[in-house]
Amino acid sequence: MSLTAAPVLDTPRLALRGPEVRDIEPMIAFLLDRERAEGFGASTNRGDAWRWFALNVGHWHIHGYGYFTIEDKASGAPAGITGIWNPEGWPEPELGWVVFDGFEGRGIAHEAALRARQWAYEDLGFTTLTSNIKPGNTRSIALAERLGAWFEREYDNIHMGRDLLYRHPGPDADGSVEAYA
Amino acid sequence: MSNYPDIPVIETRRLVLRGPEAGDYPDFKATFASYRSRFMGGPLNSYEAWMLYAAEIGHWAIRGFGMWMVHDKATDETYGMAGGWFPAKWPEHEIAWIIWPDKAGKGYALEATHAVRRHFYERQGWEGAVSYIDPKNLDSIRLAERLGCTKDREAPTIDGNDAVYRHPAPAVAASGQIRDGIELEIAHYCDPSFRPKGMPID
Repeated sequence: MSLTAAPVLDTPRLALRGPEVRDIEPMIAFLLDRERAEGFGASTNRGDAWRWFALNVGHWHIHGYGYFTIEDKASGAPAGITGIWNPEGWPEPELGWVVFDGFEGRGIAHEAALRARQWAYEDLGFTTLTSNIKPGNTRSIALAERLGAWFEREYDNIHMGRDLLYRHPGPDADGSVEAYA
Repeated sequence: MSNYPDIPVIETRRLVLRGPEAGDYPDFKATFASYRSRFMGGPLNSYEAWMLYAAEIGHWAIRGFGMWMVHDKATDETYGMAGGWFPAKWPEHEIAWIIWPDKAGKGYALEATHAVRRHFYERQGWEGAVSYIDPKNLDSIRLAERLGCTKDREAPTIDGNDAVYRHPAPAVAASGQIRDGIELEIAHYCDPSFRPKGMPID
């Protein structure tokens, strides 16, 4: 059962859909994986991880957007999350992404984040988006750049501490690096 | 927005309890930024308070119950929250409450919590409930006792730092001895000439 009014967004290999109860355990497993979730903000215990799942649902209800579950169409399994994130204290609405264990190296985050960005621009009417990346998270920086984003500034994030802010190309650009070369 | 969890509205003598809405957030934030929230994981910064509020709403969608926002029936002003809480790690369903610091001493927590417990018992089929209370939170311990709870020293706690107060079972809570006592106390608070003795209590 859907917990939010999130739409389902389609890409060749993926379906982006709202969080559902069956996503709770995969999400908790990710958040409790200190190494994998470090750049996202790992949880130290199961209670905090469950709360993160619940607050993402609340985020959807408050803002009308939040993190989608990325579903791998071939297997039906949740492969990660992507979406627009904007809690109080955030510098600007952010395009975020995370890929779960076993789904890396296949361009899933790129395919999903590109679709979420298109939705934010075309359906929600956003005119710009950022991504907040922890210094040293080279994988995320590489993906941000592959999405056409560029480093704008370093700042102190209320939750994550020292953080890098990347700016995405706006709705009028085609989003590819070549458009900015 | 659409697909918002379908949250029943509960009316009491002085209060109306509705689901938490985005517009009620500033009142929630003010209390969770204050010392009042010290027994509920606070004080919180603005990011933490917003995230907790979002989790309150998400809890309703996931569990089908949660914390109501307590409003004045006449003015719609918010006084606090009361309801059920059962995130991961909680051993049992909890009945919880918080009253904004400047609204304490009027019996609002008693009136709201009495109503939500009755709702869970009579409409949602709960067979029991507990409240997890910091042993230093004397106002809340006193309220639990006024609601007929007894300290359960054997029951599992959340993390060892909280005391478990067990609510009377549905049949006992519905009995005259407990229900009439609570309703008599609420009636005193509804009397404009009533002045409770001693420290403000919820």
